[in-house]
Formats: sequence, C-alpha cells, structure tokens
Amino acid sequence: MKKIKFITCLIIAVFMASVFIQSCASSKEAIANKSGAQLWGENCIRCHNTPSPADFNDAQWKTVGLHMQVRANLTKDEAEKIVVFLQSAN
Amino acid sequence: MKIKIISVFFFMIAFGASFAQDTIQTQLDVITSEIQSLKKEDKTHFMLRGFAQFGLDATHDNINFNMTSFNPVLLWRQGDRFLFESELEMEFINNELDIHLGFANASYVVSKGLIVRVGKFLIPFGTFGEKFHPSWVNKFSTTPLGVGHDGIAPSADIGIEIRGGLQLGKSKLNYSIYGVNGPGIKDGTDEPEEAGMLSFENSTDNNNNKAVGSRIGFLPFANSSLEIGASGYYAMPGSEESPFEGDTLNEDLNYKEVSALLTAFDLSYVKIISPLKSIIDIKGQYSLSTVSKATYFNPEDTMRYSFTNNSSAYYAQLAFRPALADNAFLKNIELVGRYSAYTTPEGSLWESKQSQIAVGLNYWFTWRTVLKASYQITTIEKEGAPGEHSGHGGTTGNVFSLYFAVGL
Ligand code: HEC
Repeated sequence: MKKIKFITCLIIAVFMASVFIQSCASSKEAIANKSGAQLWGENCIRCHNTPSPADFNDAQWKTVGLHMQVRANLTKDEAEKIVVFLQSAN
Repeated sequence: MKIKIISVFFFMIAFGASFAQDTIQTQLDVITSEIQSLKKEDKTHFMLRGFAQFGLDATHDNINFNMTSFNPVLLWRQGDRFLFESELEMEFINNELDIHLGFANASYVVSKGLIVRVGKFLIPFGTFGEKFHPSWVNKFSTTPLGVGHDGIAPSADIGIEIRGGLQLGKSKLNYSIYGVNGPGIKDGTDEPEEAGMLSFENSTDNNNNKAVGSRIGFLPFANSSLEIGASGYYAMPGSEESPFEGDTLNEDLNYKEVSALLTAFDLSYVKIISPLKSIIDIKGQYSLSTVSKATYFNPEDTMRYSFTNNSSAYYAQLAFRPALADNAFLKNIELVGRYSAYTTPEGSLWESKQSQIAVGLNYWFTWRTVLKASYQITTIEKEGAPGEHSGHGGTTGNVFSLYFAVGL
C-alpha cells in the first residue's frame, strides 16, 4: 500500500513539474486580450469535457453561461465573451 | 422599332429589379422583426437538464444492477443577471422512490465580481461536492471516500452566499462566503454508536448559531489550467438544552458549547499536452474536521467516554485522455486512477480507517455521455459504525463496476 501511495505521488509530481513548465510558457498573454474562443477552450475543460457551440441555441447558451458563471466562479467578462463566441459559432 | 423593343426590355428589367428589391426588402423587414421578437422572448428562459447513472457492481460473490442517480436539474433565467437553479435527487431504494431536494436557489449578479445567492445551495467546501459530483462530470461511478453526500463535510444547506470571480493581473481569484443553518451533532440518544458525529442532514436549525464558511480559489496562470483552493467552515452544532433532559443520571451532559471547525484544501490541474495529443486532468482534495471534545454516554455499558473528535479524508485523481489523437476510437478513451482515504475519530464508537484504490477505463460517446468501467479495491483497517459516515464508496472490498452516465 505504501509503495503504491509513493508511486502515485511520484507520478503526479513528475506530471505536475512537466506541465508547470508548459503553463508558464503559455501564461504570458493577458486575459483581457483573449478571444471568447480561447477562453472557451481554456475554461470549460476544467471540470468536464468542453461542449461544442452546436450543442445549444443562443438562448440556451445564455442560460448555461450564467449557470457556469455562478457555478465555476468565472469572471463576468470571461462568461460574456464565451457566450458571445458560442452564440456566433453554433 | 428595335430601339423601342430594347427600351421596353430595359424598362422591364429595371422594373423587375426594383420589384424584386422591394420583395427582398419586405422579406428582410419580416425577418428583422422576427429576430427582434425572438430577442424579446430571450428575456426569460427555462431549461430542464440534469443527469442519470446506472450500471452494475460485481464482487466475487454477487452481481448487482444499480440505478445510482437520476437528478433532474431545472434552470430558469430572467434577463442577464437572475438565475434560479434546482435539483431533485431521485433514488430507487427497496422498490420505493426516494426524492430529495439537492438544491434550489436564486442567484443575482450584482456587479462584476459579486453574485448574491439565497436558498438551498451546494456548499463550496472543497471542490468535489460543488463542482465534480454530477455523474457525467465525475470520472468514476463512485465518490472518493469521505467526500460526497455522506462524507465528513456538508454537501448542501440553506442560507445566503456571496461569490464571484475576479481578474488579478494575469491570475484569477474567486471567492465564496456564506452563512447557513449548519449541522447538528449526534448526541447518542437515537443512535448511540454514532455519538459525536456531525449531522448535516437537518434542514431546520437546532440553535441560534449559523454556520459560516468560505472558500478562496486562486488560478495563478493566465490559461486557467491550475486552481488551488482553501476552504473553512465553522459551526456550533449542539442544541441549547441537554438531550438527556429529565434523565437524572445524564442531565449534566450538554453539547451547546461544542464547536466544529472544518478545513479543506483542493487542487485542480487540467491541461492539453499537445506533443502527447492528450488532456491530463489532476484533481485532489484534503478535508479535515475537528470537533471540540465532549463527554458521551454509552447506554450499552452505561459508561461515559470521550475522544478527540477529528476526522480526515483525502483523494487524488489522475486522468489521461488522448483527446486530440487522430484515431476516432482512441480519442474517446480515458484512463483514470484515484486514491482516497478516510479516517474517523479513534476512541469513538464509529472509529474507522479506510483507504481505496480505483482504476478506471472510460469511453466517451459524447462530451456528457460516458461508459465507465472500473476496478476498486477498498481496504478497511478498522470498521466504523455502519450508516451515514461509511463514506458512500459503494460496495466495499474488491469490486468491478460498469456504469453508464449521461448528462441530460
Ligand atoms: C468549476 C467547474 C466547471 C467549469 C469551469 C465549467 N463547468 Fe459546466 N458544469 C459544471 C457542473 C458541476 C455542471 C452540472 C451542474 C448541475 O447539474 O448541477 C455543469 C453543467 C454544464 C452544462 C449542462 C447544463 C447546465 O447548465 O447544467 C453545460 C452545457 C456546461 N456545463 C457548459 C460549460 C461551459 C460552456 C463552460 C465554460 C465556460 C463550463 N461549463 C465550465 C462545472 C463546470
């Protein structure tokens, strides 16, 4: 049991270290300049698979956007940009 | 003559064109007004969503079909700022339908980083309960030990909350602060073997003290890949009066001074690793419950006893999915592993110590429809009282599970 614990921790540590380096490289860009599409790609995947714009109509996206703004504590700007993108691409 | 014909011809074309333009114009007008009226309808919007999960568990001596969840979620939006959400939790137990209200609350976006919410809501203590529990979000068919509905922490309660997300340079900060009715404490009069346990299932408060809590989440990177969070929750769970009122032997036992402090730390890291054409997803949470010491009465041996009332639970989960692979089958496959552990107070009658390893293979039909196959090994070092705090890890021992989950 101890060994398995140790190995799991080790795997996680190695993964974390390698992905950290990647993240630092890509975190230069200011969020204010990001497009709705990019924010959609980066944020919606954090908890569940990213839905495609085609999954819902405009009114539905607005409701889902508000629901996720509350549930996921998205900033208002992020949520609005993402909804506009999803509505334009569905 | 020819000139006449040609000029008539031109005249007709010009007339035709302007006529066509007219009809196009009228058609455009109709479409525009239709869009306008649709936009008006957009002011309020109703959606029925939710999730369901069913499947089977196989142990070495038993195969069981299970319907673990059918939770319709109702969303109602008014304008841009007002949202009502509610969830019914339906379970089929002993041939009877059991319905609970998961949550029912109204949120109002006051300003950029401020949302006010009232009603029954999922408690943002850690992240699992609020953000990863729906069966199409959770990558396993079970919850980690000690977290989830019957864990050591509250899952939903009635009260008021403010929350929001803010931009901090290239990072993001989010917060939630709330006051709710709070838990009660089991005093052992009903279930002596559970004396000292917090009970989060009381929807009406047993005293004047509200429970207060907060979670702060920090996303250091501009790409939002990492979130670390810290949560705290404080409550006075005891009733004003002694539960042994009238019992001359134990009348002096009282729990009104008992306090409970719960803390949790959580981590989420999700990133597309382009060279591997994959998504890795790391989740973890550590929760600790410390309830101040009190004296309890054991009716079986008519003795009084006391113990250090601390419980803890943690889990770490790693998922890997080659979602960007060219192969249509491979990209829907997900490998996932989870370790979780749960310890309840030593010296209590519900003392227990368990750990669990789960490995799983998921196939995603769509973004919210999944077939989950998993193998789960649960090690029980010390067995606690059965019932509420058994951790809701499903069947204990080694179990193979195959579940189908769908977001509706
Ligand atoms: C912090 C975690 C989290 C993030 C980030 C997140 N979601 Fe969700 N999402 C959830 C949870 C949890 C549910 C299930 C809600 C329920 O059933 O109570 C959900 C449900 C949904 C649903 C189903 C309909 C609904 O509203 O319940 C859609 C669609 C959805 N999310 C889209 C998105 C999009 C688009 C984004 C990106 C802007 C996003 N989500 C980001 C956690 C998250």
